[in-house]
Amino acid sequence: MDRIPAQLDQESLDALRRAVGSRWVLTDPDQLRTYECDGLTGWRAVPLAVVLPSSTEEVVQVVRICHRAQIPFVARGSGTGLSGGALPVEDGIVIGLSRMRQVLRIDLDNERVVVQPGVPNLEVSRVVAPFGYLYAPDPSSQRVCSIGGNVAENSGGAHCLKYGFTSNHVVALTLVTTEGEVAHLGSAVPDSLGYDLLGVVVGSEGTLGIVTEVTLRVLPVPQRVQTLLAAFPSTDAAGEAVAEIIAAGVLPAAIEMMDRATIEAVEFAMHAGYPDCGAALLVELDGPQSECEALFGQVVEICRRCGASEVRVAEDEAERALLWKGRRGAFSAMGRVSPDYYVQDGVVPRSQLARVLAGIRELEGRHSLKVANVFHAGDGNLHPLILYDRRSPDGPERAKRLAEDILSLCLEAGGSLTGEHGVGRDKVCQMPKLFSPNDQMVMHLLRRAFDPGGTANPGKVLPTPRLCGEHPGIYRPHPLELSGAAQRL
Amino acid sequence: MTSLEADLEALLGRESVTPAAEGTGGTPPTPTARPRSAEALAEVLALANSRRLAVLVRGGGTKSGWGRAPGRCDLVIETTALNRLLEHEPGDLTCVAEAGLTLGELQRLVGGAPGHHQRLMLDPPQGGGATLGGVVATAASGPLRARYGTPRDLLLGARFALADGTLARTGGKVVKNVAGYDLGKLLTGSQGTLAVIVEVALRLHPVPPASRWVVAEGVGPPTAQVTLTALRRAPAVLSMAELLWPEGTLLARLDGAPSACEQQAEIVRALVPGGRVAGESEAEELARMIERRPWEGEGPVLGISVPLTRIGELMALAAVGGPVAQLSLRGTVGAGEARLWAGADPAQFAAQVADLGGYVSWHRGGGQDAPPLQPLDPVAARLAGSVKQALDPHSTLAPGRGPA
Ligand SMILES: Cc1cc2nc3c(=O)[nH]c(=O)nc-3n(C[C@H](O)[C@H](O)[C@H](O)COP(=O)(O)OP(=O)(O)OC[C@H]3O[C@@H](n4cnc5c(N)ncnc54)[C@H](O)[C@@H]3O)c2cc1C
Repeated sequence: MDRIPAQLDQESLDALRRAVGSRWVLTDPDQLRTYECDGLTGWRAVPLAVVLPSSTEEVVQVVRICHRAQIPFVARGSGTGLSGGALPVEDGIVIGLSRMRQVLRIDLDNERVVVQPGVPNLEVSRVVAPFGYLYAPDPSSQRVCSIGGNVAENSGGAHCLKYGFTSNHVVALTLVTTEGEVAHLGSAVPDSLGYDLLGVVVGSEGTLGIVTEVTLRVLPVPQRVQTLLAAFPSTDAAGEAVAEIIAAGVLPAAIEMMDRATIEAVEFAMHAGYPDCGAALLVELDGPQSECEALFGQVVEICRRCGASEVRVAEDEAERALLWKGRRGAFSAMGRVSPDYYVQDGVVPRSQLARVLAGIRELEGRHSLKVANVFHAGDGNLHPLILYDRRSPDGPERAKRLAEDILSLCLEAGGSLTGEHGVGRDKVCQMPKLFSPNDQMVMHLLRRAFDPGGTANPGKVLPTPRLCGEHPGIYRPHPLELSGAAQRL
Repeated sequence: MTSLEADLEALLGRESVTPAAEGTGGTPPTPTARPRSAEALAEVLALANSRRLAVLVRGGGTKSGWGRAPGRCDLVIETTALNRLLEHEPGDLTCVAEAGLTLGELQRLVGGAPGHHQRLMLDPPQGGGATLGGVVATAASGPLRARYGTPRDLLLGARFALADGTLARTGGKVVKNVAGYDLGKLLTGSQGTLAVIVEVALRLHPVPPASRWVVAEGVGPPTAQVTLTALRRAPAVLSMAELLWPEGTLLARLDGAPSACEQQAEIVRALVPGGRVAGESEAEELARMIERRPWEGEGPVLGISVPLTRIGELMALAAVGGPVAQLSLRGTVGAGEARLWAGADPAQFAAQVADLGGYVSWHRGGGQDAPPLQPLDPVAARLAGSVKQALDPHSTLAPGRGPA
């Protein structure tokens, strides 16, 4: 996929300026540098220009210019992605959607909200909250990350265990195709006509076009929420409890696990008052009061039976916030106890949690590196944080090897490469571990059906021989994380 | 015997091929191949593809009438010999099965695991004999969608054969996964026009320990609209809320711990004018009637979907100037079936539903000459065409059939 323009030709540049206004076409190297990476800061590339359209119509014009001159483009929301999905390409432009941040329509009787892609995730819940509604997908970056980015990554969050992921809450969207046409996919009503193209665009990481309008499903706020924190002697015991809760048919809103390393870091950094134990489970139930109450007792009993030495129940909203505080702050806390860490996003079948966690502990020993685990236990989505020091001569290299071994462990257990962060640039070369050449070929056919010219986010999601000779850089905390504006889950 | 039949027999063995002369597989009669493995199915497809034959995939044959009828058919491939449950891990609430396994058989197999009562929470029309592949390919669902969603929400992964015989996988078997494109969603509802599904990984749910039912009669359009809106916001999780029109019958079911569903049933009863808590046998008989209802009698059946706030208007529309349609609606969802009475014009009804912001599609009566009921968004249609062209360039799979 060699491309012609090594720099933007004057004609295209002029056309871009006419399309969105000169102010909104950035070419100054200092300005461009602020767009050189997403939340995975080890991968960096400076684009030829950054273009900031303000409407679907402007996006159409920008994409048409790219199409005509074969300029690759990378869509960008808030740049919080953790897989290098919004990593620019050096011979292309970035199309930033941050100016498109209007909530266009609210129709609560039909449980629908229509937004532009740059609207931050939390904003959706915020505008419907006064009427007793919420938007369920809640990535921990929700104050910052955009709905467009959520759609592109099919993002999850702690409460997706019960409510499903972004794909379960997007009912329609407007897609500007790579040729600059406007497609309306899905529908505001429950079923729609034709192939479920909406279903493949969600989670396609900006490779099938640019999403410029999204219709979301919002839900009435549950009548009751109940939260507990249970202390276990080991991750084995906590893992057993998770398996039993799921097998008993209880579907909590969230089940999150933290191991000893995480609890210690959280206590050190923010004194959340967590018990001193081998592993803690944070379980939240919600729904009608009657249902919550019936199930809560069952969960408490399962925790006790699996060896919980202590079960703390939040009595009010303040106590609930306290229980969540340590969990939400876990990633930034880790930054206080380790100079560097790399986060993984593998998934395992829930029945395998205890076994895989034991495997990770064994790998820790073998690689002489510490791993802290804090993750969405209910759906088996691990987030092992590999702690290392990039100044030590082989630190990054060892961290990378350990990360690969953990991933192999997940895949051997029947799991997946990524549960919510996406493939992006970071995991593109791992795709063959999960998908055969035929599997990848079919995905490639689909991609070319949407993007015959190969201009939309090239080099992401699907591996090519050219890509996979290179090595990824190392992780450094995202500026948002350092500022405390967002935590990484 | 034709040369195609001879070649199929050479590939699959005699017992797996029904010659056209004996078969019922299409008009004019066509041979039926019943491969016993995904690999054999892929070989048959590749053979048909290389000869530019038109292939129709059939599972249980319960939804052959869905969508627009295909224009040609030279060979039917039946998936019913691919009928094994490959994996069932009760602790994960997931299973992997071959596409020709029937829904009824799957429910029996996963429901019977010691100590675990689990189900695939899909109850499409004529569900028992429907195959899993067919249910996914038609995106078919029933009353339970009110709580558990439709096949797209429960499919975790799939293995499929492209027309040229390429076997590939998408997704996985874990409940959370964003690696690669979600081709499972694309195959869901594609009605055998993009690929042949040979294996599916599905999410299961535990069978709730108890159920309670609320029934009401004589619910008219204005009451229905107000009541359904209230039910959406009520602190009660409805597993189903079926609304029959013109009868005005409403059947709601609540599942869960006995105490919880009892309390919720009381909340629902209080919200539904004329509502009463019904006993198990009465409710189950009503549920069985509801399942058969759209398919009894003659006349076209349309899948139908409208905004929640327009259900009352839809009911009114179904009776404008005399009886137009009989409705079976998932009341809290805004979707269901409409069976048209004699003399009603499907195209006109479709246009009226479109005015409400809704959609219809053929579930019965969409013969070869049937008009597409509603135009697709032109750019979406072009993209759909490109996808079809990319995956099935010779239009081997059900040419002319479309999900609309
Ligand atoms: C501290 C922290 C915590 C996090 N926690 C979670 C979590 O709990 N769960 C979770 O799932 N993720 C989490 N993430 C990851 C990230 O926030 C999500 O992936 C998020 O959806 C990205 O949104 P964004 O707007 O920042 O997208 P970006 O990073 O800007 O882009 C992400 C991808 O989307 C594409 N894209 C963006 N906008 C569009 C558009 N309009 N049309 C087409 N493509 C587009 C880009 O090309 C890119 O491929 C976290 C990240 C951080 C830094």
